[in-house]
Amino acid sequence: MNDQLELLVEMGRHFAATRDIEVTMGRALERIAELVEAEGGALFVLEGDEPQERLVCHASYGPVDIKGLTVPADKGIVGRSVATDNSEMVRDAQNDPNFDTSMDAQSGFTTRSVLCAPLSVKGERIGAIEVVNKTGGDGLFADDDLTLLEALAASAALAISNARMAGELAEKEVMRRELELAAEIQRGLLPPPGGAGGEEDFPVCGVNRPARVVSGDFYDYFTLYDGRIAFTLADVSGKGMNAALLMAKTASLFRCLGKEDMRPGRLLQRINAEVCETALRGMFVTMVAGIYDPVSGRLVLANAGHEPPLLHSTDGRFKTLEATAPPVGIPPELTGGGPVPEVVLHLNGGALYIFTDGATEGYVASDEELGADGFMDMVRDGVSDGLSAQARIDAVANRLSRSGEALRDDITVLVIDDAKSLQNRLNRVDNTLKDETVRGPNMDQGANIPVDGSLCALTVPARASSLKLVRRAVGETSSACGFSQEQCQDLVLAVDEACQNVVRHAYAGTDEGDMVIDIRRESGAYVVLIRDHAPPVDVAKIVPRNLDDVRPGGLGVHFIREVMDEVEHLSPPDGQGNLLRMKKAI
Amino acid sequence: MEIGITEQGGLSVVAISGEVDLSTSPKVRDALLGCISSNKGVIVDLSGVAYIDSSGVASLVEAFQTAKSKALGFALAQVSDTPMRVLKLARLDQVFVIHDTLDDAIAAMV
Repeated sequence: MNDQLELLVEMGRHFAATRDIEVTMGRALERIAELVEAEGGALFVLEGDEPQERLVCHASYGPVDIKGLTVPADKGIVGRSVATDNSEMVRDAQNDPNFDTSMDAQSGFTTRSVLCAPLSVKGERIGAIEVVNKTGGDGLFADDDLTLLEALAASAALAISNARMAGELAEKEVMRRELELAAEIQRGLLPPPGGAGGEEDFPVCGVNRPARVVSGDFYDYFTLYDGRIAFTLADVSGKGMNAALLMAKTASLFRCLGKEDMRPGRLLQRINAEVCETALRGMFVTMVAGIYDPVSGRLVLANAGHEPPLLHSTDGRFKTLEATAPPVGIPPELTGGGPVPEVVLHLNGGALYIFTDGATEGYVASDEELGADGFMDMVRDGVSDGLSAQARIDAVANRLSRSGEALRDDITVLVIDDAKSLQNRLNRVDNTLKDETVRGPNMDQGANIPVDGSLCALTVPARASSLKLVRRAVGETSSACGFSQEQCQDLVLAVDEACQNVVRHAYAGTDEGDMVIDIRRESGAYVVLIRDHAPPVDVAKIVPRNLDDVRPGGLGVHFIREVMDEVEHLSPPDGQGNLLRMKKAI
Repeated sequence: MEIGITEQGGLSVVAISGEVDLSTSPKVRDALLGCISSNKGVIVDLSGVAYIDSSGVASLVEAFQTAKSKALGFALAQVSDTPMRVLKLARLDQVFVIHDTLDDAIAAMV
């Protein structure tokens, strides 16, 4: 009995120290052979599933090493012992007609006496231990020896079973830690709050709560060189590690390609082409990409198969924006390809909410889905309670994260809130009017004319509807500079025409981007600088038309040159876009 | 910008007022071409125009050419100072038929 306990304890210790079950089994077999005074022994482990079950020798002791030997699970003494879960004894092998001596003929070893005991724990068959030839006495085993082997085998089986379980646990622990690391990397893919600069009033923010450790959802945003903010939110089908990996790939593509060419529809088209190049096993990504301009409140959105985003206007109304193309991951040849159609919105102080279905299909405390209506109610309440955009979406995620329960699905929400930016725009217009036009810009007290410097600077969306504001700015400033009424009208016309060219030609009527109009007084001249961020325009192609050729169009450049003393196309300081400088002597 | 269309003596009189710019000129173009397509001579009353740009002028030129190709009359009337200045800049004051009053225009075209 003591031997039995000692063996169990020793095997347990040994396995804990080595973490190697094979070595532990070898040690155990050695101890058992010594205890039953056997010349040799072998430990067989049952492997494979029926009908391919077989017994493989994992440890061998004595003069002949048979480690690796495989025998059919239903053959011989060992096979029988395992199959019946009973021990076997062949006391005198040489005189036993049932004993197969062919093995001895091969190995040159003479088997005189055999004991075999099954290794099993609570009906779970592990294998068997076989010992041969007693070293003492007549060299033959007796019933006592069999009883001892049975007891030791029971201990060994328990130790092996424990070790296996411990091994599985350790493997699971390793997997769990790997998963934690993956989740940490994944969290690192999400953008920092407030963008790269950590701005407090940054207009874009998000929340992501994975249902499992890793997530198939993601969002991202970053600021472009011209101040516009690119953003995305996507949901990869599935929730496991495969979804997380595809998420990482898609997120990287968005960052890389988005910095190159941030036109949302084309960007989604390019991401789709890249994603489709790899085998997806039927996985796909629903994805929204867009670009938001805090200066104008203008937002361009493309939606590839994603849950419709919600536009919440300042009048309290919601508008849903349906997907305009199939999800990313559907081969372009199936869908006809082409850029994902874009939608242009003007937030006007409102907010755009983009979310995954986990946010609307999650359960609230009453075991009901939050639903799109519930989501809208929470947003409305959040706004009327004066919550920040981040606090509003955190409230949604918190409500769906019921304590002690796994989420039904990943919850991800992104919001683009124009409220602060609208306030900034209004302040800017107020200041412009107050400082530059109503009171008059930097007046020289004696002469009552402006001194050198900027008279007025405006940043407006490159759209036809912005021109009225530009004309007003030119009208007020030129009049303040002392131009005649007719000259003022001419200047208004010339600057209007130059801005029209930016809208119609530089941005090619895409309704995308801004222009900056800086009106200055420089050493006795009225100077207007017009700056855009469109692709560079070929200056050689800008020529006034021949006026004898009466036809519609082409008059703008003629007007500009007729009115202005000097017109120059300059290189913008940072090399982006176009810069036009026009001058008229006062 | 507002456009009013009336009929006088078998002619369409299109009265335009306000600012004709890039965002409003397509409406001017449509209104003028619409009148010409009904085979009537057109008089454009520019007395209320506070501003007109090259796109507005282009609409007038296009309508003028379309009318000519259909042998229909096309004239401008009561051109206020601002649009007249722009027409002069474009040297179009010598191309368009321009009358001081609506009555003059109607009398000349009927």
